[in-house]
Parts: sequence; C-alpha cells; structure tokens
Amino acid sequence: MSRRARLWVLAVGGLGLAVLLFAASLELPGFGGDWHPYGVRAVEAALARHTSNVVAAVNFDQRAFDTLGEESILFCAALGTVVLLRQTSDEHRVRPEPARVAPPVRRYALVALPVTLLIGLYIVAHGQLSPGGGFQGGVVVATALHLLYIAVDYRALERIRPIGLYAMADAAGEAAYLLLGAAGLIAGTAYLANVLPYGTFNTLASGGTVPLLNAAVGVEVASGVVVLLASFLDQAVEIVDADDPDSSGRNSDQDNSGRPRAPDNSDQPPAPDTSGRTPTPHNPPEEKPT
Amino acid sequence: MNGWLSAAALLLLVGFAPTVWGAASGPVRRRVMAQNLATLAGCLVLLLLAQGYARPSYVDLALVLAVLGPAGTLVYARLLADELAERPARDPVARALGRAMTPLAAVCVPLVVLPLCVATGPGRAMVKLLAIGALLIGGNIVSTRALSARHATGHTPRGTGHTPQATGPERHTTGGQSGAAGG
Amino acid sequence: MRPVADVLIVLALALVAASSTAAVLARDPVRQSTVLALLGLSLALLFAVLQAPDVALSQLAVGSALTPLMLLLSVRKVRRKGKEGGSHRNAGNRTGSTDQEGRR
Repeated sequence: MSRRARLWVLAVGGLGLAVLLFAASLELPGFGGDWHPYGVRAVEAALARHTSNVVAAVNFDQRAFDTLGEESILFCAALGTVVLLRQTSDEHRVRPEPARVAPPVRRYALVALPVTLLIGLYIVAHGQLSPGGGFQGGVVVATALHLLYIAVDYRALERIRPIGLYAMADAAGEAAYLLLGAAGLIAGTAYLANVLPYGTFNTLASGGTVPLLNAAVGVEVASGVVVLLASFLDQAVEIVDADDPDSSGRNSDQDNSGRPRAPDNSDQPPAPDTSGRTPTPHNPPEEKPT
Repeated sequence: MNGWLSAAALLLLVGFAPTVWGAASGPVRRRVMAQNLATLAGCLVLLLLAQGYARPSYVDLALVLAVLGPAGTLVYARLLADELAERPARDPVARALGRAMTPLAAVCVPLVVLPLCVATGPGRAMVKLLAIGALLIGGNIVSTRALSARHATGHTPRGTGHTPQATGPERHTTGGQSGAAGG
Repeated sequence: MRPVADVLIVLALALVAASSTAAVLARDPVRQSTVLALLGLSLALLFAVLQAPDVALSQLAVGSALTPLMLLLSVRKVRRKGKEGGSHRNAGNRTGSTDQEGRR
C-alpha cells in the first residue's frame, strides 16, 4: 500500500472513530450532574462496612476480585522484566565507579529517605481512611529506597537490596492477597468476601479485610517495583557486552560520555567510603560490588 | 471559602502553566528547572485545592508530591549530568530560573502555607501543613543546588580556566546552604 | 463556588491537552522525559480538581520519580549499547557540542 493510501485509511478510520465517540457522548449524563446511581450505592455499601474511603471500599471490598487482576498485572510485569533483562552469557558485570554526588544532595537524601519511607507506610496504612492505599504507598516506599541510587551511590542501594528477598516479598504479597480471598471461602461465604469484623468507623482498625488487603498490595507493589527497577539499573549500570574490549573501562556510573572527567571538573571530593578506590580499566567479571 | 479555589486557579495559571512551556522547549537545563518549579507550584495548588474543597485528606497529595517532586528532579540531575554539564546556561530562562528558584520557594511556600495554617487552626493538620512546607523548601533548595552544582562543573573550566579557587567558594556556599535547609 | 470550580477544571484540562501534545511532539526521549513529568503533574492536578484523589495519588506516585527514572535508565543503556556497537549517535552529539563550543 502506498503512503497516500495508508493515510486515507487512517483518515477514514479516525473520522469514523470521531463520529462514533461524538454520537456516544450525546447519550452521556451531564457532566457533574446530581444523578449518581452507582455512586450512591457504592457509598452506602462502604459506610455499611465502616470504610470511610469509598474508593478503597470499591477496590478492596466490593470489587476486590478486579484488584486481584490488577495486582497480578504488576506481578507479571516484574516477572517478565526479570526474565527479559537477565544477564545473558555474552554479557558480564563490571563494578560501577563511585558516583560523585554533591554533599548537600547526599545529606538531603539521607534525611529524605526515612521521611519518604514513613510517608509511604502512612499512605498504605491509611488506605481505608484517606486517599491512597497499597499501590500508591508501595510506589512511594520503593521510590524512597531508590533515593540511595539517585543521590548517594548505586552500591549503597545494593547493600540494602538483596534482590532475592524482595522477589520473595513480591511473591508473598501476591500470595497473601490470594489467601486472604480464600479466607472468605473458609468462613463459608464468597471468595474475597469481607469476613472480618468491620471495626470502629474512621479508625485505623476499620473496614475488615480492606487494610489487610491494602498491606498485601503494598508489600507486593513495593518489592515488585524494587525488583523491576533492579533489572533496569543492572542493565544500565553494571551489565556490559562481553565482546566489547574497552567497555569495562568506560562503564562509569557517573559520566556516560566516555571521556575521563578532569580532576578539577568536580567540585566535590569523592565519597569518604570510596576515596581509596580508583577505577581500574579492567575489572574481572567475578568481582562483585561490595 | 471561594478565595482558596480562586487562589489555586491563579497559581495554576501564573505558576504552573508557564512551566509546561518551559519543560517542553529549550535546552535540557531549562526543562529540568521548569520541572523543579512545576513540582513546587503543583504542590502549592494541591494544598490550596484541599482547603478550597474543604477536604483535609487531600493534603496527602501535596505531602507525597513534596517528597517525590525533589526526588524526580534529583533523578534528572543524576542521569542527565552530561546534558546539564555540557550545555552551559546560555539560555536566559534557565539562568533566571536557577537564580530565582530558592528565593521563590522561600517566599511562595510561607505565603501559601501560613494562611492555610491560620485557616485550619492548631492541631495535627497544622503540623502536617508545616511539615509539607518545610519539605518543599528543603527539597527545592537541594534540587536547585544539585542542578547548579552540575552547572558549576560544566562551566568553570571554560569561564575562569582551571583554577581550583573558582570552585572552592562555590562548594563552601553549597555546604552552608544545605546545612540551613537540613536544620 | 461553581464558576471557580469550572474554571479550575477547564484550566487543568487545557494544561493536560497542552502538555500531552508537547509530549507527542518531542522526539528525543531525554527531552520527552521532562515533558512527561509535567504531563504527569498536570494529570494529577486534573484528577485532584475532579475530586478523584486516589487516582491523583497514583499518578503522582508513578509519574513524578519512577517514570523518569525508568525512562532515563533505558536511554542510558541504549546509548551505551549504541556506542559499543559503533553507532554514531553519541559521537554525533559530542561533535555537535564541540562545534558549538568552537563557534562561541
């Protein structure tokens, strides 16, 4: 097909879609109207189960099965990334050079890390009360850990990131969700039914299974994102092609332009814990980062 | 009641909208600085919206942005170090932004947070607001420093030759500023 | 209250439209990443204005640091790979910048 014909097909298709969307929009209820049949019922059900955040009640109680699917998407994405970005036989690892990060930035990261971690846990724990929940809080927790790469050094991140442990936590979070659903079957009702006592409205221990499911999702998302980013970081920082003769010398974590940095270009001294090390042109592949 | 939303709309138009233009055009340095400014403006808009809609729980949005926004800027400062260093700040917008960011954060954040504190009254909500304000100012000062530290490394060899003295005072000031931010 | 709320919605929609158009028009992934950050922020503001804070929080959590990090790590890997494979992408960039320096 020629380019012209393809453009015509695209134009006809786009025009048809536009017409259909416009026709469909005519049937929609008015924007911001006061008739919300689903909203009213969802709010009623949420209040009956003592869950003050109605969105959490919909996600983790009324439509908890949908959330199981959504959670599995991230699980499968992390799994697929780990498989696709694994270290192949024609690649080898080199130790990244220590990063030169300005001391104020490093200090800020070390202060911000626990604060961000705490905020992430707060978002997870208050999922049934205020906006947020397992997914949002889990992502914040994972981002907090990666402040170590962003503002300190990759090896500092690797020290607190045993990948096997996080992969296991990822699977455990996913399994916990499935098992919590099975609790409903054991109690004699439906899968993922809210079988726990509902608790006092607007307190942390309210909503029955909602906080537990939130915690399971939080663990799954936080460790899933860590595993996901670990594959990306390994590929971007550590893994190089084995057949490339000079790649190991260049594999600077800090400067990927391939030029050596002039010593007076850096206004910061190297990190105190790494000042003794100088980048060697050829690292043996088995030399693991400390 | 109405005034908070009006203020949010004004800030969205005056503070946030220009950053979209700034982040979509020009050299990388200007774009990253625009992103930095956008997180500041966006966070303040979210705070005003929470008050305007009378929903205290919306403050969590601003809380998350106050910690993740600077983290995002630091991602750029870390991974785009070459682009930030290789293209010096010939762009007047980037230079002006780099100079104005810290005073802007130091003025605008209290200007928004303190009235909100007065409106909410003493209590846990006020502590949260003050914490967000402190996180915002500290984060913005540090991320601006991180960007201009790259700027200094890229610029010094060309401008003043290879004089270590040129980088010495710069380093001293960065340390002092961050100490103030951390405390 | 109503007109101001409507103005806010229109403003947020316009910002989302502008930043998403800019994200589509940006061709270089590095430059696109900053536009994407702004697009994420505008979307979060739109969701907040439409009073959907849970969605806004998801957008903020994913869009503000995680997406740029993954994007820029991929760019770094691809560029390194290109350099190892003899591609001229990075070399071209470097000569371009030295050209600029020479002109200065």
